[in-house]
Amino acid sequence: MPPRIRGSSCQPQLLLNCIEPVPATSLSSSAALGPLRRPTTSSAPRCSQPFSTTPAPQVTALRRKFKEWCEAKQQLREPQRGQTNYVSQFIPVSESGMTRPDMPFPANKHFRSERVLSEKAREMIWRDVMVNGMPLKAVSAQYSVDMRRVAAVVRMKEIEKKWERENKPLALPYASAVTGMLPLAHLRQGEDPFEPINDIHVHSYTMQQLFVPTSESREFTRADAAKAFGDRILPPDQKMRIPELVQMEKNIHAGMSPQEARDEFVKAASESEKAYAAKQQARLQAAEDRKVRVDSGRFEFRFEKINAEDVGPTGRARRGVGWRYGVPFMDRKRGELKIPTSVE
Amino acid sequence: MTRGYHGEHIKEYQWNRMFNRRSLSAVNMDPSTWPISTAERADTYMQMVFAPMERRLDIAIFRALFASSARQARQFVLHGAVTVNGKKMRHPSYLLNPGDMFQVDPERVMMATGKPKRPTKDQKALPSTSTEEAAESEEADADAEAAAPEAAEGEVDTAAADAAKEKHMETLKQLKTRARKIMSQKDVHMRAKQKKGLRKFLKEVKTAMDSTRKPGDPSIAELDGVEAELTSLLSELSLTPAERKAQAKKDETAQAQSAEGSSLGLLTVKQRAVLSKMIATERTNPHDPSKPYATPWSPRDWMSPFAFIPRYLEVNQRICAAVYLRHPVARAGRSEVPTPFSPTLSQLAFNWYLRRG
Repeated sequence: MPPRIRGSSCQPQLLLNCIEPVPATSLSSSAALGPLRRPTTSSAPRCSQPFSTTPAPQVTALRRKFKEWCEAKQQLREPQRGQTNYVSQFIPVSESGMTRPDMPFPANKHFRSERVLSEKAREMIWRDVMVNGMPLKAVSAQYSVDMRRVAAVVRMKEIEKKWERENKPLALPYASAVTGMLPLAHLRQGEDPFEPINDIHVHSYTMQQLFVPTSESREFTRADAAKAFGDRILPPDQKMRIPELVQMEKNIHAGMSPQEARDEFVKAASESEKAYAAKQQARLQAAEDRKVRVDSGRFEFRFEKINAEDVGPTGRARRGVGWRYGVPFMDRKRGELKIPTSVE
Repeated sequence: MTRGYHGEHIKEYQWNRMFNRRSLSAVNMDPSTWPISTAERADTYMQMVFAPMERRLDIAIFRALFASSARQARQFVLHGAVTVNGKKMRHPSYLLNPGDMFQVDPERVMMATGKPKRPTKDQKALPSTSTEEAAESEEADADAEAAAPEAAEGEVDTAAADAAKEKHMETLKQLKTRARKIMSQKDVHMRAKQKKGLRKFLKEVKTAMDSTRKPGDPSIAELDGVEAELTSLLSELSLTPAERKAQAKKDETAQAQSAEGSSLGLLTVKQRAVLSKMIATERTNPHDPSKPYATPWSPRDWMSPFAFIPRYLEVNQRICAAVYLRHPVARAGRSEVPTPFSPTLSQLAFNWYLRRG
């Protein structure tokens, strides 16, 4: 009968005590690390609690190297005022040893830290829209800033002004520190365009390869191409966020002076925005007209007319209102997700 | 492996449900270049694997640099510090729609991105008295430097009284900052009585400074009295011999300075600008021990290597609000999803989830 292993020797704590910490020299070649520095404190996993079965954290070679690297790169700790401070300034991104200041991740060359609008640029946009009353489309085209971004800037600037009026404290030290870490766009004359403003979404129907036979004599336009991809595919001229720019380019091509074409564009943009606002207003008004409000002092009841036919032929259509016989009412069921899908 | 960076707090089955093999992309159709060139096709679809993740509220808060991790952002949402379109939102997994504005309580943001109140390990390692002395000597040097051009100018004009007062304010301010420094550095070792004394001192400084700001301003002699009183108080409160020594030095310089100030009675334009700037920063970024972060506020260590704001967000840092403009898209040579992984690795991840998705 072989000698039995004593039960206590199998306990992980005792086993751990037997393990000698690996000397730093054996973990990696010292030449690669340069001057060898022994970790001062926690290299030897001594167990302070003899009854704990949790193994003490081992300092791996990778971890130690990382720590040494961090200690060598102390300028990453504090922000470099007015410029970016990414890791890629130390790591060449191409074979020629070139480094890029705008790449936060050296391995991912497709992601760049893009410029953000400076405080002055935001103020300028807000002034143009709210004080000078320029249409959003015109401001967007003037500064080459996406229309949605222009709207967002104005919306948040309004809140900021409101806070200032209410003497609510703004996060000013935070704002100045963060803008100091990021590349900034001041929207000055002669600067590179901030972002593309004529982006169109790539519809999945248009990603297929297509062979459409046409006669040579026929003019095949973008509109025809869109029709070939599908009945409901719009040509880029209509999909663009600022279609008035196309007309402006056409006018310039036809011989109109650029200044005149621009004035025409601003006029068209203003008109289209007014029409859009009127349409929205009419829609809201129509929705309001469908409601009957009854104020009881404590509550306001709102009644809306419904159509019983909305439940559809099966009685299960999503637009159907109220409880229906045989249709499960999931609202109060346990485990149903009630995370809102939109917030008005 | 890739999930370690992209929403490691989200369960795998949840991500499997979110994953979409059809990435969104956009092309720039610039009408001014239509006749000249065609739009470049987007080609970075493989870097868009985790695009659906970027729609989550907690990750968007992290991307807007309002939190130092997605987990912390998630905690902010759960604790009710986040509003979406002005309404409180308590679901970190809320998927933002284009145009949604989310807003985080500025105090939370300052706490998340500011330096912690407790000094970090390596800061602790430095002996506190030596740092104090160094700071003191630096201050003294600065004072000496400030005094030098004054002596060189040697002109007396009508603004002398004003300048002298400002000088006093400056001294008071320095004393105040010094007391605060003691408060912030020594609070581990200090006794309750000493703390109380210091607090009283700070209050007195404040009243003195307020009284100078009032229109019915007191005379310079009065100010002198207050200053002398405060200085003596502070020297009484000194804790260690080293500090006492530093205090003596400080007093000397202060006296010399005030003497010079009253004899010449002038501040250069540059000095005045510096002083006003200092006062302005003090107003916007004050020392306030009631805050949960180190004050005056300064950004956390190691923050700048990770500071970037992707294009699909528009952030206003002053009110700690951001708008989710659109979904992230792939473009020619650019992808908007921040991922540290190489295209090869992202492709492998895409294939992995494609098999399951």
